[in-house]
Amino acid sequence: MAEILLYGAASSASYALMAVGFTLVFGVARVLNLAHGAFYACGAYAMYGFCAAFGAAPAIAVLAAIAVLAAVGAIVNRFFVEPLRARPMAVLMSTLALSIVAEQTLLITFGSQSRNIPLILDGPVSLLGVRIGAQGLLLIAVAIVVIGALWLFLHKAKLGKAIYATSQDPVGAQLVGIRTSTVFAVVFAVSAAMAALSAAIVGPMQTVSPEMGLMPMIKAFSVVIVGGLGSIGGSIAAALLLGYSETIVSYLVSTEWAQIVSLVAVFVTLVVRPSGLFGK
Amino acid sequence: MQKTRIKLAIGVFAALSSSVALAQTSDKPVKIGIATAIQLDRGKDTVSAAQMAADEINAAGGLAGRKIELVVADEGKTTNEGVGAINKLISEKVDVVVGGYNSGITLAQLPHLSRAKTIYLGVGASAPAIQDMVEKNYAAYKYIFRVNPLSSIDISKSIGDFIVGKVYGERGFKKVAIVAENAKWARDMIEPAAEIAKAAGVEIVFEEYFDPATPDFAPLFSKVAKSGAQYMIPMLAATPSDLFVKQWYDMAVPVEMGGVDTGSLDADFFQRIGGKSLSETAINYITRAPLTAKTIPWWDEFVSRFGREPQFTAPGAYDAVHVYADAVKRAGSFASDAVVSALENTRHTGVRGTITFDKRHDLVAGPGLVNALWIQWQEGGRRVVIWPKDLATGPMISAPWLKKP
Amino acid sequence: MRFFNRTDSVVSLAALALLAAVPLLTSDNYVLGILITAICYAIWAGSWDLLSGLTGRENFGHSLFIGAGAYAAAYLNTAYGIDLGWGIVVAPLVSGTLGALIGLPTLRLQGPYFALATLVASAIAHTLCLLLWRVTGGEEGLSGILPMAGSQSDYYYLVLTIGFVSIAAMKLFALSDAGLVLRAIGSDEAICRAAAIDVDAYKITTFAFSAAFAGLGGALFAGYQLTAAPDLLSSGLSITIVVMAYVGGMGTIYGPAVAALFLALIVEYLRGFGEYRLLVYGLILLVVVRLTRHGFVDPFWRWLKGRLA
Repeated sequence: MAEILLYGAASSASYALMAVGFTLVFGVARVLNLAHGAFYACGAYAMYGFCAAFGAAPAIAVLAAIAVLAAVGAIVNRFFVEPLRARPMAVLMSTLALSIVAEQTLLITFGSQSRNIPLILDGPVSLLGVRIGAQGLLLIAVAIVVIGALWLFLHKAKLGKAIYATSQDPVGAQLVGIRTSTVFAVVFAVSAAMAALSAAIVGPMQTVSPEMGLMPMIKAFSVVIVGGLGSIGGSIAAALLLGYSETIVSYLVSTEWAQIVSLVAVFVTLVVRPSGLFGK
Repeated sequence: MQKTRIKLAIGVFAALSSSVALAQTSDKPVKIGIATAIQLDRGKDTVSAAQMAADEINAAGGLAGRKIELVVADEGKTTNEGVGAINKLISEKVDVVVGGYNSGITLAQLPHLSRAKTIYLGVGASAPAIQDMVEKNYAAYKYIFRVNPLSSIDISKSIGDFIVGKVYGERGFKKVAIVAENAKWARDMIEPAAEIAKAAGVEIVFEEYFDPATPDFAPLFSKVAKSGAQYMIPMLAATPSDLFVKQWYDMAVPVEMGGVDTGSLDADFFQRIGGKSLSETAINYITRAPLTAKTIPWWDEFVSRFGREPQFTAPGAYDAVHVYADAVKRAGSFASDAVVSALENTRHTGVRGTITFDKRHDLVAGPGLVNALWIQWQEGGRRVVIWPKDLATGPMISAPWLKKP
Repeated sequence: MRFFNRTDSVVSLAALALLAAVPLLTSDNYVLGILITAICYAIWAGSWDLLSGLTGRENFGHSLFIGAGAYAAAYLNTAYGIDLGWGIVVAPLVSGTLGALIGLPTLRLQGPYFALATLVASAIAHTLCLLLWRVTGGEEGLSGILPMAGSQSDYYYLVLTIGFVSIAAMKLFALSDAGLVLRAIGSDEAICRAAAIDVDAYKITTFAFSAAFAGLGGALFAGYQLTAAPDLLSSGLSITIVVMAYVGGMGTIYGPAVAALFLALIVEYLRGFGEYRLLVYGLILLVVVRLTRHGFVDPFWRWLKGRLA
């Protein structure tokens, strides 16, 4: 069952990258960012743009897309979230409206047809006797490195610790001189960058289309709820749980029932233990 | 003598008044309504192709001396938008509606079309249920015709035929796997095809359904390979073909594939996924091949005028407009009932083949009429017809990683 | 028990008269069809507001109840030949029951958790609808519903009457003591419990009513479209309704209903924009959210009344 081990890991990796960014924004800024899927889609299209318009090498295009989306994240926070902070419902509506505008703009600009972004690593690879695309292994490696780096950042670096403190107690953080507006901007930027990274690495193995952000965002919701809103450790655990559950169900039952697994897991979590695995 | 003079007078009067009636309406344009999803390329091509046909007819003097004008309404993606589109076209008093793509939306539109007694020429939806309505309630639904594509029943027979004749007959693959998205259309289509295959001795060693939103097909492909299947028949419509085919190629699944893959019908499919559909076969209704004398000239003109190769709804829309014009000429009137009778007797050679309708007003398949083509992506992105034998333009190739050295 | 104030009553009746006059001015099925659709949206938005506006628990899965009602009526008609009229009676019972069942485990959730739970519940319903294709017709839905006897104008009057009565009833409820209790629950649930109010009973009953009215609207809509399709269970529809309620002013019942009516008409009008339609819709939404505090319709109406007095 080496196959389940590897395929499940690849699934979990993509879910983890999306979910960690989403839970970061919620945990720190207390915002349910419905535009997270739009960050994902725009990240993929940004990479497409860099490859198609400038003929950039895939690896460079990925880095460029991440940079662009980090900036977009900060801008979204500054103009569409910050001014409405006092009313959570308004923020929700605002991010929702943004996601509609983003999807429609992509549709009108690029058309409804699928696009393709190139793989960084092409070709099948044989590991543990399992046939897997090389990019899949890259995804697993990148997810581990990036999430690990984020964890270190939040616990060791000065800015990271400031972010962590804000998530615990925004008022207290301000009292000790932490600029919460900077913290929120950074968090949104990181979240968008991670979504873009996920899209840039997973996109070549799937497809690029204007509505591509919806499913990953719903998966991210599911992972974050099961793991606990605001908990990065929870997101990682839940990503592994859901990613492997889907793969196991695909193998043992049928691919037909695999997608409903995460939905049911979410509902059960909310009914039995709403705060999730590691939530507050 | 008196009676004959009266009859003569009546006859002359009738002839004069009907020509006056036609003349009175001769400056009003003939409105052809197009109901389609205009945000999708398939929708845009429906409109473009219909425009091409309308322009041709107008250049030759119009239809009964009247210019043809297109009225476009967006069907969108939901039944609500679809029904709204039809009602909008009806309120604009169109003479006929051409269009369609999604069977669910088309089914929802039928009662509204029937109530308004508006003729509908379908160019994209294949559910048999649509034309079943003509059989169930002729008086109400006789206005509904399918010009394109072939109904699922015919496609199903074609799949069975392909498996028996090509996959088993020529390639010698006795074990076949069927993988389909869990949609009703797929289940309806697989059953008859499987019966035909099994009757000829083919073994269906694996059959599984999947959610169209599946992001990772590795487990499925792995199971297919392990089942001992030598050929895989996918059934894809809502599933993103790019994703499915790329993953099949990247994993170098040791099983060749061909079946119903709506996404792979796009002209730029091969090129946009970096050539990864090499050796994939899919059922199609049109390609740049001499299906009729009109096919290649039409194809080339479409490409030069619109800068892109036509999607499968395009030839349907083009033929539909001509079929309608032809029926009106034969009926000598624009009245729905008269045109319906004329349409029933259609025998029109379009760009896909010769169009005739059965008593369900469904497109008839067969040699010399319209056929489903099995088209394979080969080197350099060439699309080669590999089945049926009498329309084939080349031999079938193997998947590149399975070629014997 | 409070009743409507005079200005509100007069204006409502005037609006009703205006809508009732439409079939006398035109027999165009297109226009009647748009209005029927808009009235259904008004019922859905108003019913959403009944729970979510009063208690502040935003329901992001309202389409579940709409779809349940529509499919109930459609199924009875296509499978058993039962007249649509009965379907319209049965649908709210089905949806209401579902509302109570789903409310039981979910209404005790706080904050965004209720929103996400309802969103997921309707996503599960949507997926099940496609998986259980033998009963529900899968992605094609249940089509070929036999329309009720009478013309499109007759059906329009039926929908208009049921719509008006429903919204009035919901508004009466909101103005009543029960409505006050719900608002109190929305402000501070703990204090209500401490005051020995059966908070759970209030919430679940209201959720059941909210779901029932939604199902009623769903059945009326299916009776117009003559089809029940899975897109009635989509999260897109749920979100559209939340947006309409927000623009209308949450908690006022009539605000969401009026906003829904206008927004449904605007989206249809935007057909002229072709492929830019949804983009324009999103931009309008962005502007409204950015510039208004409590939605648009309710504050506007209050301002207007103030000026008229």
